[in-house]
Amino acid sequence: MVSIKLDNVSLVYKLHEKLTLSAPDRRLGGTGGRIEGSGRKQFVQALDGVSFELKAGDRLGLVGPNGAGKTTLLKVLYGIYEPSGGSIAIEGKVDALFNINIGFRREATGRRNIVLRGLINGWSEAEIEEKMEDIIAFSELGDFIDLPFKAYSQGMAARLAFSVATALDPEILLMDEWIGAGDASFQEKAKRRMDELAEKAGIIILASHSESLIQSVCTKRLTLKGGRVESLTTEPAKRAEAVLASS
Amino acid sequence: MISALNGALDDIFRAMKLRRVWIALAHEDIGDQHRRTTLGPLWLLVNYLAFAGTFIFVFQPAGKDAAGYSAYVAIGLMVWFYLMEVISLSVPLFKREESFIEGTTLPLFVYVMRLTVQSAIRAGYAVAGCVIILLISGPALTPAWLWSLAGLLLILVTTPALITVFAFTGAFFPDSEFIVGNLMRVGMFFTPVFWVYNGRDAIQTYAYLWNPFSYFLDVARIPILIGEFPSNAFAVTGTAALVMWAIALLLLGRYRRQVVFLI
Repeated sequence: MVSIKLDNVSLVYKLHEKLTLSAPDRRLGGTGGRIEGSGRKQFVQALDGVSFELKAGDRLGLVGPNGAGKTTLLKVLYGIYEPSGGSIAIEGKVDALFNINIGFRREATGRRNIVLRGLINGWSEAEIEEKMEDIIAFSELGDFIDLPFKAYSQGMAARLAFSVATALDPEILLMDEWIGAGDASFQEKAKRRMDELAEKAGIIILASHSESLIQSVCTKRLTLKGGRVESLTTEPAKRAEAVLASS
Repeated sequence: MISALNGALDDIFRAMKLRRVWIALAHEDIGDQHRRTTLGPLWLLVNYLAFAGTFIFVFQPAGKDAAGYSAYVAIGLMVWFYLMEVISLSVPLFKREESFIEGTTLPLFVYVMRLTVQSAIRAGYAVAGCVIILLISGPALTPAWLWSLAGLLLILVTTPALITVFAFTGAFFPDSEFIVGNLMRVGMFFTPVFWVYNGRDAIQTYAYLWNPFSYFLDVARIPILIGEFPSNAFAVTGTAALVMWAIALLLLGRYRRQVVFLI
């Protein structure tokens, strides 16, 4: 049974004052949160006491201002960041779509990039072979699939990335502001695939600043601020009803 | 200490299971660097032969040592270029792999092995060039050459440890990229790559005896040139390998989860 349970999860990391010959450079890294402490003992409290539970079919929208911890939370769920406290229990295969260019090589063709991305995702050669034509068809790249990735527009790159990420029916899909890059018709197609995914007992977590996207895709909304959960609500009933009607 | 070691070994074992990833990426790296060129990766062979030929032409002593000097430089350059490239590219490794590290859950050792394979492929072209020079310059083929092969394997086994140590150095100390780059360029003159140690010059003696790279070169060079097993060079290189691996495992075990916050 696909599920996610976070109990009082926190992420604190030390601000490493790098050894450098230039002026002190205290990097914040890619995480949000609050800076605590002073002098040489500064810490970033990127997540603080985050708790929630999701079950099969849930589509959670992560919202909040820049630096609220949305991307950080996604990366904790994916396993890139190790939480400093609390517990995470995840049942199901997790895939993520953070940056459309990750794992894609500019000089390689779309076809070769599917193979490389598949290998990075841990797919077997047989799985890659089996899914290849489906991915190409869904991405609508046509003959462009045998051209170098660098020749693709941002929308084409996003279509290929989304097609690969959802090709093996991930049970849990984490996405960070991915959808804005595709054109309107592909966005509609992508939403349909996400619907299918959720109907197949999947969980989707989407971080976005787009209110309309959150409303149209998600069934729940988690608002983060300064690394803390401000609220966890269910999205308007019309969306939930639509999901129920389609299941 | 034990948990750090377990963490490091876990990272290494997971990376080994993903060997198709780092082998494929390394091949792509080599292909990308030479795409749209006429000779492709054969430029690596041309570069090596051009360097070795120049050194031999300029520094070759007159008289009976000429043939031996060609082989001396050919082997020395092959090993030195490999070490210089491995170390110089290692320092900014994690920064270069930033998007992967921040966007995937691949073990860190995948990036280490990606660079190891990439460097080994490039070195393969230098080995081919070295063999060509050895065949032309004519040192006798003896069973002792197998010791040279063993020496090269020892250097290859040490490579992932070297990469790991220098990659962490680069992550903690960004200026080290330029410091190490400069040291390696200067280091060529303090390492018996093209000059021959004669035991008479004080600076040469220090540069030869106290420079660990001298022994890395000797494990590959002495068996072919002198036909002997270089026990001293193997002992020093083997010890250096063990020390580097111990440090690499410690760094990987203790700091692998911190790298994502450092780059």
